[in-house]
Amino acid sequence: MTQRNLEFLPKFEKPRQAWVENLDTVEEKKLGLIDLHPNVFGVMPRLDIIYENMLWQQKYRRVEYHSLRTRAEMPGGGRKPWPQKGQGRARHGSIRSPLFKGGGVAHGPRNPTTYFYMLPFYKRLLGLTTTLSVKLAQVVDLLEIPTEGPKYLEDLVSERCWGVSVLFVDSVDIMPRNITAATCEIGHMNMMPVYGLNVYSMLKHEALVLTVSAVEEIERKIIYNLNRTDAKKKEQRFLVNQV
Amino acid sequence: MSWCLRQVSQCVQKLWAPQSQQVRYRYHKDKLEKGKLIRRFGYEESLLQRGLLPHVDGKKLPIPIYEPKNSWTESKALFGQNDYIDILGNENLHPTRTHYQIASWLRGVKGNELQVLIRKKKVLGKGIFPYSNPIKWRNINKRVKYLYKFMNYKTNQFVVNKE
Repeated sequence: MTQRNLEFLPKFEKPRQAWVENLDTVEEKKLGLIDLHPNVFGVMPRLDIIYENMLWQQKYRRVEYHSLRTRAEMPGGGRKPWPQKGQGRARHGSIRSPLFKGGGVAHGPRNPTTYFYMLPFYKRLLGLTTTLSVKLAQVVDLLEIPTEGPKYLEDLVSERCWGVSVLFVDSVDIMPRNITAATCEIGHMNMMPVYGLNVYSMLKHEALVLTVSAVEEIERKIIYNLNRTDAKKKEQRFLVNQV
Repeated sequence: MSWCLRQVSQCVQKLWAPQSQQVRYRYHKDKLEKGKLIRRFGYEESLLQRGLLPHVDGKKLPIPIYEPKNSWTESKALFGQNDYIDILGNENLHPTRTHYQIASWLRGVKGNELQVLIRKKKVLGKGIFPYSNPIKWRNINKRVKYLYKFMNYKTNQFVVNKE
């Protein structure tokens, strides 16, 4: 099928290749071969990079809202519960002291606790290329299927041995109606536009299905970022109010 | 005489010799056949000697029935979407801008309790918050004051090393 002009090809590496399949029949039809850029789909599979990316995705959005009140934040407790001397009881100054039942908590959790940090830009880029190389994506021409029911899609996926969970990626974010209706009823088959693609989702789903236009878009964006001249700007430290 | 006797007895033995069998006592075999020796008959052990089985008789403690969670709900299935939007999408859109579930002043914020509280004060102090939530506002101020003192004055920076 597709002869593509790959830009910024490395000198000694050949382009990777993948079969382009169809989705409009359950049986697989091979429509042709597509060239894939080796700097995007043929990178050294570094597990540490994938792990760092996944951990970052889980952490950087995390905010804990658990909180316990200190003695200062509780109502009352200003009065001395009993005199200092003469009762034969221990000396106390407040019923909200952390020693008291129903008192404040000394070193409890305070909200909001954030776990935010920013992974360096080029580490995230490397995470994307590494995961794309590791996943061995299926390439299809279009996300067009003949019926709306989920049965067709399930049959198709089991026929082609794609596993259980599948992530469909297209370059546009308004997807064809039939496949949208079908994946809507199956929890483990999901659709994502190219700009939503990420390391965590690629790892969570067993198979990754890219359309030809999605492959082109991903390659264009990643190759641009790998070869941009103002890369220094992207390596700057993240500041809170910069965005 | 003795010779005659011996001859006679030999003749008798030839004619009639009763079958005799040796009696053998099998101490160990007998012991096993008899069964286990009963010691402390009638004594009941009140402690369980069998190991980790605390409440054998009586009701079991209530344990909730395990129900596997659905790991493909929408939020779980699409977790992490748009985290690389500055690479694969719009370059000027930072991924922290897509954290719609977090309060806007908390997106991309990192720091200790004092730093986060100061930021919260700065953002919320301008609006209606101090008037709509006066107690919360007072508590924030109290906490900031306390933490400020704790972090700046209760340190060892005034201690002079004497050697």
